[in-house]
Amino acid sequence: MKHSGCAVNKERHFSCEDCNGNVSGGFDASTSQIVLCQNNIRNQAHMNRVVTHELVHAFDHCRAHVNWFTDVRHLACSEVRAANLSGDCSLVNEIFRLHFGLKQHHQTCVRDRAILSILAVRNISKEVAQKAVDEVFESCFNDHEPFGRIPHNKTYARYAHRDFQNRDRYYSNI
Amino acid sequence: MADGGAWRPPRPCEAYRAEWKLCRSARHFLHHYYVHGERPACEQWRRDLASCREWEERRSAEAQQSLCESERARVQATRKHALVWALRQSPPADWHLPLPQDEKDQ
Repeated sequence: MKHSGCAVNKERHFSCEDCNGNVSGGFDASTSQIVLCQNNIRNQAHMNRVVTHELVHAFDHCRAHVNWFTDVRHLACSEVRAANLSGDCSLVNEIFRLHFGLKQHHQTCVRDRAILSILAVRNISKEVAQKAVDEVFESCFNDHEPFGRIPHNKTYARYAHRDFQNRDRYYSNI
Repeated sequence: MADGGAWRPPRPCEAYRAEWKLCRSARHFLHHYYVHGERPACEQWRRDLASCREWEERRSAEAQQSLCESERARVQATRKHALVWALRQSPPADWHLPLPQDEKDQ
C-alpha cells in the first residue's frame, strides 16, 4: 500500500463499529476507510481474513480508477479478487460452511461469495450481479496483485513478500 | 536486458530452489488442484534452477537466455488478460485527508 502511495494509518483508515446483519466488514471508498464489524468478527483468524479482504479493496482503490458506485463490473472485479486472495475460499473455510467440493471448487466459492458481497451493498438483482461476475471473472480471478500468487498460507505470503522486495533486481534482469 | 557483464539472474538461485520445492510439495498439489482442477507444472522451476546454477558456475550465455525467456514468459502470462479498470497515475487525492467528521470536530 505504501509503495502505491497509500500508506495505511490505523487511526485514519480503520474503524471498528457495530454492524447490522452478519456483515463482517466493508471498504468505504468515499472516506477511504475500512470498517471492521466488531460484533460479527468471531476470532483472530476471521479478523485476519476480513482485514486482508478489505485491504484488497483498498489496494484496488489506490492503484486504479474503480467506479465503485457507478459500474457494477468494477465492484464485481474487486470482490472476485478479495474473495480469491483473502483466504475467504480456503478449503477449510468452505468445509466449515458445509460446502464440500475439491476439484476447482475454489473458483465456485469465489464466484458465489463475490455475488453475495455485491448483493450486500447494491440494490440489484442476483441475475445482474451474476452477469457482472461472469463478465469480469477471467480477468479478475487471474489478477493476483500485489501478491503475484494466491497467498494460501504464511509460506506463500512470505514468498510473495520476498518477490516484492526483489522486484528491482527482477525487472532489471529480464 | 543488460549486457553479460552487468547481468545477474532475476532471482537468487536459492529462490528458484525454494519455488521448485514448494511447487512439488503435497500441500501445493492440494492447493493447486483445489484452485485449478489439475496438477501443478513444476518442471520450469527445475529448469530455471539448473540455468541459474549453470550461470553461477560457468557464466553460460545459454543459461542467461533461458532464464530471461522463462521469466519473460511468466510476466507475459500475468498480463494475458485486459484489466477491467484503468490504472491510476497517482493515488487518490483524498486518501490521506482527514475524515469529514474529524474536520468538523476541529
